[in-house]
Amino acid sequence: MTPSSTTKPLDTETSSEEVAKLPTKRSLFLTGRQGAERRFVFGMVTPMVLYMAVFSVLPIIWALALSFFDYSARRTGGPILGLGGENPFVGVENFQKMADFSQEAPLEVRQFHLSLRTTLLFAFLVVPLNLAITLPLASLIESVHQRMRPVFRNLFFLPVLTSAVGVAIMWGFILSPQRGLLNALISKVLGETTIIAWTSDPSLTVLGIPVSLFAVLIAYLWQDLGYNLIIFIAALQGVPQSVKEAALIDGAKPWHLFRHVTIPLLRPTIMLASVLTMISAFQVFDLFQVMTRGGPNDQTRALSLDIYESAFRFQRMGWAAAVSVVLFLIVLVLSLVQSRLLRSDWEY
Amino acid sequence: MIRLRSFRLPSYLVLIAFSFVAAAPFVWTILASFKTGAEIRQSPPTFWPENFTFDNYRTILEDPDLKLGLFYRNSAFVAFANVFATLFTSTLFGYIFAKFDFKGSKKFFWYILATMMVPAQVTMIPGYLILVKLGLLNNLWGLVLPAFVDAFGIFLMTQFCKSIPNDLLAAARVDGASEFRIYRSIVLPQLRPAMATLGLLTFMTNWNAYLWPLIVLTEQDKRTLPIILTWYSNQNTNQVQLTMAASVLIVMPVLFLFALAQRWIVRGITLTGIK
Repeated sequence: MTPSSTTKPLDTETSSEEVAKLPTKRSLFLTGRQGAERRFVFGMVTPMVLYMAVFSVLPIIWALALSFFDYSARRTGGPILGLGGENPFVGVENFQKMADFSQEAPLEVRQFHLSLRTTLLFAFLVVPLNLAITLPLASLIESVHQRMRPVFRNLFFLPVLTSAVGVAIMWGFILSPQRGLLNALISKVLGETTIIAWTSDPSLTVLGIPVSLFAVLIAYLWQDLGYNLIIFIAALQGVPQSVKEAALIDGAKPWHLFRHVTIPLLRPTIMLASVLTMISAFQVFDLFQVMTRGGPNDQTRALSLDIYESAFRFQRMGWAAAVSVVLFLIVLVLSLVQSRLLRSDWEY
Repeated sequence: MIRLRSFRLPSYLVLIAFSFVAAAPFVWTILASFKTGAEIRQSPPTFWPENFTFDNYRTILEDPDLKLGLFYRNSAFVAFANVFATLFTSTLFGYIFAKFDFKGSKKFFWYILATMMVPAQVTMIPGYLILVKLGLLNNLWGLVLPAFVDAFGIFLMTQFCKSIPNDLLAAARVDGASEFRIYRSIVLPQLRPAMATLGLLTFMTNWNAYLWPLIVLTEQDKRTLPIILTWYSNQNTNQVQLTMAASVLIVMPVLFLFALAQRWIVRGITLTGIK
């Protein structure tokens, strides 16, 4: 604030509320202060609206439109957005095809089913595994000396900052069958040479889940843990010290403190973190593309990879758009759950 | 105070064990980058390099196809341009949404928030077609222009702008400051801490971005570092030690800088709870 502004008395017209909240009509043509404010807002918001029309509204509408066409960027097509003509309107055919579960279904449909299954499996495995590690880890970090907390937290957060491509390449090498660290460690422990092709043997499964999916899952968990960790640490710091002390005075064991005091108090945060983790797990692309390229035998062809390959490798953009709409609907439902969780107020 | 002193030692043991797991991929990569080709092909693998060598780094830095300087420049341009664009639009419109009422402002704000729910995979196909129309394929601006407005940034800045006292703005108006001057000289300085956080998060996201650059940039010389790293890795599937050295050169320097600024990044995430 400049010194002069404090010396000048504020007249009634420029009291804070009135300046901030302006009348909405005809004010562009006003002269003086209010006119200047209107022109400023109008001058900034107009280009923003135009920009958003092209780079935000148009892509969303275009994606929805594409899903009702048999579209390829290689064909010329009609005058509006290249739709029609050689890129014919097919109605809901793309979505109908998705419901074809027979063996004779076209390849892209079978790949879609496999991708959807893979992505659902992945997301539903990531959330419990992530929480099972991050929650105890967060309270362990909270239990050590104040000076040591940032040291551990920063170390565990480092993978979040690492490029996913880097993570995929580093883990790809750790999981390498002949030269990898993991097989070397397993061989040491078992006392005999063990060679497991973590990312490339299609016959390896655990409980019907391909081992290659677990390989990507491990890399993803390793990279993604830091997020929830810091969210839980922040939440734990919000738990009143008196509550913990009361439990300890009553003779609670550390495990009981964690199980019956910490977890219930963190419930809202846990719910929110679960939904956020699931939303991002549904959209993982980099790790799948770099670590396994969807292989072996499409076992790790996640939905996002399926969309990318259909659209840009096989030029089936109409079909890819339809699949992306399915992904959108899944994320939308989860986001609505999330906003419900955010709205309900919790207290302890 | 009782504190949880009684079970500190086990806590430390578990945390240290976990630290090894967290650090292992980095350590393993760095060690491998100093091994010879013969040693890397050995099975079972060695942990510590037997014949410590800098040859892999020399090979990479002398490789005429791997113009690291150029690719670093490409990545830096994209990341910095995105940071400037995002900081400008987020602070400006955060300020406007927080302090001005105009026709449809609430709906517009909710629309921007709602776009956060749309997965990148939905908009990438039409986004690509728009760039084709604009002639921005294989142009680094193609990674900047579609990301000019950042929904998360606007949301963050709107929250921060709400806490700027209206009297402060009113006083400046009485002094006859122009509206843009008020934004520049009064609003922006108040937002500095939030800008540091948003700027770092934006830089990190763009520096590490893979999917969109993969679609937009198909010419080698235009590519950014993550795409170059996968390309180089695919070129040298039998020379893992080279890929590991390339990973160190491409991933680690900026990771080190991020690590130094970690406090701000962590703050941004705990503040908003949004990834």
